[in-house]
Amino acid sequence: MFESILKELAKKLLREKTVDLVIGYGSSQYPFRTEPLLINKEEQVATLTWNPFCGNNLARYLKYYKNTQHKIALMVKGCDSRAVQVLLKEDQIKRERLYLIGLPCSGLVNQEKLLKQFPQTSLEDFEWKESGWFYQGKKINPSLLLEETCLRCRHPNPTEYDELVGEPMTDSPYQVYQQDYLEPVDSLSAEERWNRWSKEMSKCIRCYACRNSCPLCYCQECFAESTQPQWVSPAPIPSDNFLFHLVRTMHMAGRCVECGACERACPVSIPIAQLPLKVEAIIREQFQFEAGTDQESTAPLLTYQENDPGDFIK
Amino acid sequence: MSKSSWDPKIVAFLCHWCSYAGADLAGVSRLQYPPNIRVIRVPCSGAINPLYIFKALREGADGVLVSGCHPGDCHYISGNYYARRKFYILKELLIWTGIEADRIQFSWVSASEGQKFSEVVTEVVNAVKLLGPSRKLVKEFSINV
Repeated sequence: MFESILKELAKKLLREKTVDLVIGYGSSQYPFRTEPLLINKEEQVATLTWNPFCGNNLARYLKYYKNTQHKIALMVKGCDSRAVQVLLKEDQIKRERLYLIGLPCSGLVNQEKLLKQFPQTSLEDFEWKESGWFYQGKKINPSLLLEETCLRCRHPNPTEYDELVGEPMTDSPYQVYQQDYLEPVDSLSAEERWNRWSKEMSKCIRCYACRNSCPLCYCQECFAESTQPQWVSPAPIPSDNFLFHLVRTMHMAGRCVECGACERACPVSIPIAQLPLKVEAIIREQFQFEAGTDQESTAPLLTYQENDPGDFIK
Repeated sequence: MSKSSWDPKIVAFLCHWCSYAGADLAGVSRLQYPPNIRVIRVPCSGAINPLYIFKALREGADGVLVSGCHPGDCHYISGNYYARRKFYILKELLIWTGIEADRIQFSWVSASEGQKFSEVVTEVVNAVKLLGPSRKLVKEFSINV
């Protein structure tokens, strides 16, 4: 239903030359997947789509248009719009060059979970109604179906948009908060946490898919690829994998919008989003800041208070 | 190497305006402190990138000390305030990933606090000695979990 509205809107924007480029989701040749679609002609809107498999955070593409004059229409879910807000705040793109098509999001469906729970199925069997997900008319537990990211989502509605397509969601439909999500790790002892993380990190093949899918990792040259000085070895050795992820986490501090793109992109299933997520939880608690939710407040690491916590300093 | 003959190596990032001068004062005052630290002078504690700290550990340092001016005394007005937030997050992250947070220590030492500098170094060296040689994050080519 919303797909046709989207197509009409994209057509109109391109016809009236409001924008030069529409970045959205297109149907994929694979089932239960979509792919990013970049279109600049009216007739190309035919494959434009919007369904619970539109996982990619398209704000990533703005990086490539930083130094061009294109006006861009971008389809944004709640998380994507927060990423755009951070990019705007960091002056990576001008707001007047963007036309944001807001999409209230009822959560992304995880392909593996779906096929595990409902092996013989088609997308038509599923329906989102006001109170949750339904399978052939029966209500189902969203945790059987949805991405981890979406279960812990606090802002399903776009925080910034020019046009909203669809009905706004009630906030946090799933009520699984970060604390619950990180609790299994929080409750471990220090040694157990180390064992867990060093095990996860030794799986890493350093494909940099996490970094490359992240809408906010926009450095021209990443420290991980610098050769003079060489901070980390390019070989995927456990110590350097850990170092890479720790430093990336520090780079995301106060910026991560918790879209989970890194986690979904990871080919070896490292729960990599947990690191920035923990840092964001600390920042929310200590510095009362949430990335991408407003334009006014200053990023927590670009400001300070005289009474910041300092007990750990001798 | 047996543990008895092991002496920790500690990388100390000292800010040019306070802690480095504090270390200098400790020296000219002939105050004793353990010779385990290797000093790197930096313009300001705010100039410390967490990457430097991780890199030191990766290269085999057993501990890292970062020291700057007291809050309010920064030569660049507010560098140490920014540093304090950064270090707070860094410390919490280390604790959460299970890396011994005591290996990474922070202090404020002014140019007139030679005595405090020698005390801080002694404390840090003792804390690191208790933890033993660093193994986490040290560059290794084999997977050992």
